[in-house]
Amino acid sequence: MSENVLRLENITMQFGGVVAINDLSMRIDEGEIVALIGPNGAGKTTAFNCVTGVYEPTNGAVYFHGKPIAANHPRGKMKRMYAGSDPEKFLNMQTSMTADRITKLGIARTFQNIRLFKSQTAFENVLIATHMRRTSNIFTAAFGLNYKEEKRNREKAMDLLRIVGLEDVADEKATSLPYGKQRRLEIARALATEPSLLLLDEPAAGMNPQETLDLGAFIQQIKRDFNLTVFVIEHHMDLVMGISDRIYVIEFGKLIAEGTPEEIQNNQAVIDAYLGGNDE
Amino acid sequence: MKKMSATRLIVSLAVVALLYAAAWWAETALGTNSMLITVLKKGAVYALIAVSMNLLNGFTGLFSLGQAGFMLVGAYVYAVFTIPLKRHAAVYQYYNGGIIQFELPLLVALILAGVVAALLAALVGLPVLRLKSDYLAIATLGFAEIIRAVVQWDSLGPITNGSNLLKTYPTFASTKILGTTVLFPMIVAGVCIGLILLIINSTYGRAFKAIRDDEVAAEAMGINLFKHKELAFVISCFFAGIGGALLAMFQGTVQANSFKSAMTYDILLMVVIGGMGSISGSVIASYLYIACSEWWLRFLDNEQFIGSFQVPLLRSGFRMVAFSAVIMVVVLFFRRGIMGDRELWNLRLPGRKKAGRAKQ
Repeated sequence: MSENVLRLENITMQFGGVVAINDLSMRIDEGEIVALIGPNGAGKTTAFNCVTGVYEPTNGAVYFHGKPIAANHPRGKMKRMYAGSDPEKFLNMQTSMTADRITKLGIARTFQNIRLFKSQTAFENVLIATHMRRTSNIFTAAFGLNYKEEKRNREKAMDLLRIVGLEDVADEKATSLPYGKQRRLEIARALATEPSLLLLDEPAAGMNPQETLDLGAFIQQIKRDFNLTVFVIEHHMDLVMGISDRIYVIEFGKLIAEGTPEEIQNNQAVIDAYLGGNDE
Repeated sequence: MKKMSATRLIVSLAVVALLYAAAWWAETALGTNSMLITVLKKGAVYALIAVSMNLLNGFTGLFSLGQAGFMLVGAYVYAVFTIPLKRHAAVYQYYNGGIIQFELPLLVALILAGVVAALLAALVGLPVLRLKSDYLAIATLGFAEIIRAVVQWDSLGPITNGSNLLKTYPTFASTKILGTTVLFPMIVAGVCIGLILLIINSTYGRAFKAIRDDEVAAEAMGINLFKHKELAFVISCFFAGIGGALLAMFQGTVQANSFKSAMTYDILLMVVIGGMGSISGSVIASYLYIACSEWWLRFLDNEQFIGSFQVPLLRSGFRMVAFSAVIMVVVLFFRRGIMGDRELWNLRLPGRKKAGRAKQ
């Protein structure tokens, strides 16, 4: 039961009367690259937000290494409006961790609509993400007594920038970088929190075919180098089919298919969902 | 923020030392009562308060308007605990000499002023910091007004002297350094601003700025939003408390009624004029503001004659009109303020290429 790195159990996310995700269950095993695909508005990013603590799911539970990080059942006003399945199943469970605690457990993410720290340089963006694993307190930090840790963090941030190929723009304002580099910077920043599970939300959005190809190789490389499990939302089918071990497909918040890239490519329900628009 | 090079640090410290020396020389030459010295003292006090507010509003992105309330707490704590025992009967004449029958050394009272303000901030922060933007501003503003009312409450009279003045506590005249009154406020403010600078340049300061830039991303990077907001709030109010105590020393008397929300707006203006997110900007703007309001624009309040021609409009109160116009111009056309989010010591020297890399 606890072998899965991440397990979603009957997740339903309902905003008012809108059911964004309906009864989504999935699992991700150690060392896998799992993709979540689906047409626009299918609820992919909402699923990420439920995992990372941005949203509290309306119903269902999320487990990380067997430990519940989010669990909820319809309560209060939502009890009457609830349109999903199984409102009774999680009646005795209620856990909700804030996003920072979930990150501390080892889940890091990037954002679809890039969310870098605007006023900071590329280097500082990565450095900020090392703050979480600090051992200093406000006094030791202010008086520079944590200089060893500070030096280590600075080296680590620079190393990460080197890995994503941004060491030459380390001192540039993050928001002045071209789109593709901002995406890479987001990955470097996520890696700085020392995650074991990396969630990538459309990492190839806005990239050209060559950049997308490079990104695929890059994701596989960091997965190996950092011992990661990767969960990725993506629209570029070449990338998804190329790197994923397994793929989940959702449409209108409902899971419609699950399997290896070959199985998904031949799945009639998936073909129907994407018909008329097999490439975003 | 970039790591400062050793030379820049030394140059900056040398410049600060020179400024202190100049202030000392000015008081020796011009006398304690000259306008310049008054501006230097009041400017130092307001510089500290503006920087403390900038830490919250400019660096952490928390739009708080409670500064006057925490200054009031600091001012009262300082005044109440330093009034000499033998003067209690006179000061607390309506409350049988008050109930506090001891006095604390000046520096202890000064630090206590900050500590009490910080403790209060920690309490107030628990509910208030869960609010965002405008709502936070309204809640903190409300708190400041409540504090002002509570302090004047008659039942607290034996401690706070009700709505009467607190006086005869030690002022800058009793903290002479090298025979001048100007050095004490400048040194205390300098040390406090230095501490705030150290915090901002540490890993905690970077976390504050991350929260300002993007709360969602900051939380996703493992920064505990509430904890860091509370920390920034407490630190800011600690220094606002010390600033309030210094203001009490400057004024010589304290009365709760003078810590109105208008005072917070004055400080907010200094922060905005100097640049949200710039310590040196806040300091420069505070001095400019104080110099203008106390000194350079004074002539607007008096009738002026050029030859036999009486300049129209100039009469008591016109200074504030001119001041408001200046402020509108700043807000409309110089929204980033004097310094933006840069610091004086990080400005690129003309003719030089980019400053050194951030590397290790």
